[in-house]
Amino acid sequence: MVEKQLTRERTSSWSWILQAFTGALLLVLLGLHMVVQHFVVEGGLRDYQQVVEYLSNPFVFLLEVMFLIIVTWHALLGVRAILFDLGLQPATERKVTAILSIVGVITIAYGIWLSATIVAQGA
Amino acid sequence: MEVKPKPVQRKPLEWFNLKGKRVGFWAYVVMRLSAVGLVLYLFLHLVILSQLAVGPAAWDNFVALAKSPAVLLLDVVLIIGILAHGLNGIRLTLIGFGLGVPRQKLMLWIGLILTLVFGVLSALAIFAETK
Repeated sequence: MVEKQLTRERTSSWSWILQAFTGALLLVLLGLHMVVQHFVVEGGLRDYQQVVEYLSNPFVFLLEVMFLIIVTWHALLGVRAILFDLGLQPATERKVTAILSIVGVITIAYGIWLSATIVAQGA
Repeated sequence: MEVKPKPVQRKPLEWFNLKGKRVGFWAYVVMRLSAVGLVLYLFLHLVILSQLAVGPAAWDNFVALAKSPAVLLLDVVLIIGILAHGLNGIRLTLIGFGLGVPRQKLMLWIGLILTLVFGVLSALAIFAETK
């Protein structure tokens, strides 16, 4: 019992630290994303040709992929925290973590594929 | 024997039970609701960006739709959600590391004021841009 409680506490503390860490990174990454993708763009959104040209810049590509990874991670950690607050059994909690990890990997892989596809269309 | 307190767990329905709650609980509710909204938005955003893979016409149609006043209003809601969530997140992180705990309520009000100020500025920028 005591051991289980300790495990739970360790679990909640690593996820909390990760949530705070990814959150801190998002202050920079989301801030940059909003400014470079929307605020400095005339009309707030790029048209197709402008998107392709812009994303073809390797620095922009890297920045957006990093943003994608960190924001997905942060979002799914948040979903996990909300689900864990339902008072789940440890076995169910492990399943939730596994499923959300898969969702995260698929989301990030899709986003990278999409970005690469957009760049390839301009080549 | 030391008895460890159980971690606070609240089911989503309890987010809406505001009776007799302190202001910190309101911040918790705002954090959770904005979190749910932002997660849904993240996936919606990826679905919309998929139009870029469809081709130029599909994307440029979306851009035209995105400049309608109703969608611009939703953009303002999104920005306010991001500001509230991010600024309260800074506060929670500081408190979590034991920083500024006695000033947690002051930080909450500062976060609220900054959310409103930057929310209004963003709204002005968004609606001025498309005139």
